[in-house]
This record gives sequence, structure tokens and C-alpha cells, in this order.
Amino acid sequence: MKSYYNVHTIWIAMMLLTISTYVIGEQGASGIGIVLFLLLTAMIKGVFIIRDFMELKGVSLLWRVIMYGWLWTVCIAIAITYMISLS
Amino acid sequence: MTVADIEIEPKLLPGDLAIWFFIFMELLVFGIFFIIYAVMRLQNIEMFNQYQLTLNREFGAANTVLLITSSYFVVRAVHAIKLNDVKSCILWLYAALGGGTGFLILKLLEYYDKFSAGINLSTNTFYMFYLSLTIFHFLHVILGMVILFAIAIKAQRGAYNDQNYVGVETGASYWHMVDLVWIILFPLVYIIR
Repeated sequence: MKSYYNVHTIWIAMMLLTISTYVIGEQGASGIGIVLFLLLTAMIKGVFIIRDFMELKGVSLLWRVIMYGWLWTVCIAIAITYMISLS
Repeated sequence: MTVADIEIEPKLLPGDLAIWFFIFMELLVFGIFFIIYAVMRLQNIEMFNQYQLTLNREFGAANTVLLITSSYFVVRAVHAIKLNDVKSCILWLYAALGGGTGFLILKLLEYYDKFSAGINLSTNTFYMFYLSLTIFHFLHVILGMVILFAIAIKAQRGAYNDQNYVGVETGASYWHMVDLVWIILFPLVYIIR
């Protein structure tokens, strides 16, 4: 299982996630479920970049908190505003 | 020694510590910008939804593909230099620059389309955010490319090897930050409604 998790498969996964985002955009889909799915997609890609491309896996907790904290804070704040607008 | 062997060692931040403070500040600014966009949208939902449809989602998606792929090429460059494969490192860096160039070309075509339609920062709130956010990011892409190009030139002059690759990691970290910001910007401005 571990051998399938590398920068090459991560790149492929991010391509597929990008295509899924584009397809949803083309269909004009909206709603809380769609918004959360799109933000989750962005977050997964963000985690891949921070963890595997920037190679921050295993660095000090402080820097991981800063980087993942930024990603979580921005995505959650965006999600809240969209949930308010859709409620 | 393989890349996997190197990564078993205790992990320090890749690259120069100073670049990480710079990255942190950049992310802070973009993060505030994103949240302000989302909050401003709350007060102009219909306008934001209407004008979002005028954006070129094909170019947006293609630019996402280009930036992620370019980031992947930079990862390959870092792996290559860790294995003392300087030639491959240089080739991957130029491939990454190719991705960045593609991004800039598509973005310029997008701006040409908008500006020739008479759209500018004062057209409405949505376009003000669309233009300022994307142009601010565009400038970061240019800076990232300048850094990658400088590293590629230094690598060609023999400045890096498997014992000295902090410079390559430093430039790579900045380039990944540019990618990370776009990964939020694309769905936020072009897709989510």
C-alpha cells in the first residue's frame, strides 16, 4: 500500500481532484453539500502540497500547525460564509 | 543512497529558514484576502454569482493543472539534486519554468479578454476582487519563476550537489506556496457559488 503513495500518484490524484472541481463548476452545481465537497477537495490538495511537495512531514510541530492551521482556518471561514449565504 | 534514505534522517525545515517566515507572511496576506472576499460576497451574493459565470473556467482549470504539474516538476528537481543528479535537476527546473510560463500566458489571455471588454477594478465589487486577487497572485508567480530561473542558472554553474542543496529547496518551497494559494483561489473565485 505504502509503495503506491508517492509524488507521482499524488500528482495524479491532484489532477483527478482538479478535473472533478472543473466538472462541478461546468454543471453550475450549488448547495451546501457541493460547497463542502469543493472545499474538501481543495483541502486535500493543500495537504498533499504541504505534506509531500513541501516535505513538511516530520518537521517541528510549530511549522506543521502554522501551515495546516492556515489551510484549515481559511477553508472553514469560507465554508461558514457560504453556509450562511445558502441557509 | 536513495531519496528515501535521506528522508529517514531527523527533519529540519527544507531550505533556508528565512523563506519560511516569508511564506508565512505571504499566506497570512492571501488568507485575509480570501476571507474578506467570502465576507464581501455575503453582501453581494447575486452579483458575485452572476459575474462569476463570466470567468473562463477552462483557463482556470488548465492553470491549476499547470501549476500543480510545475510543482511536481520542482519536487523531481529537489529529489534529483539530493541524488547528486545535477543534470536532471536542471532539466526539471526548466520544465517547472515551462509550466509557470504556460500559466502566465493563459492568465494574460484571460486579462486581455476582460480588459478589452472594458472590465477593470472599478467595474463592480466582484471584478475588483477577481482582478486584485489574481493579479496579486500573478505577481507571485513571476517572482517564483525568477527565483527558479536563478536557481537553475546557479545549478548549471555547479553551485549545487547532494551535499549542498539548500538553495534548491528554498526556491522549491516558495514555488509550492504559490501553488498552494492558487489551489484555494481557483475554486473560491471561479467555481464555488
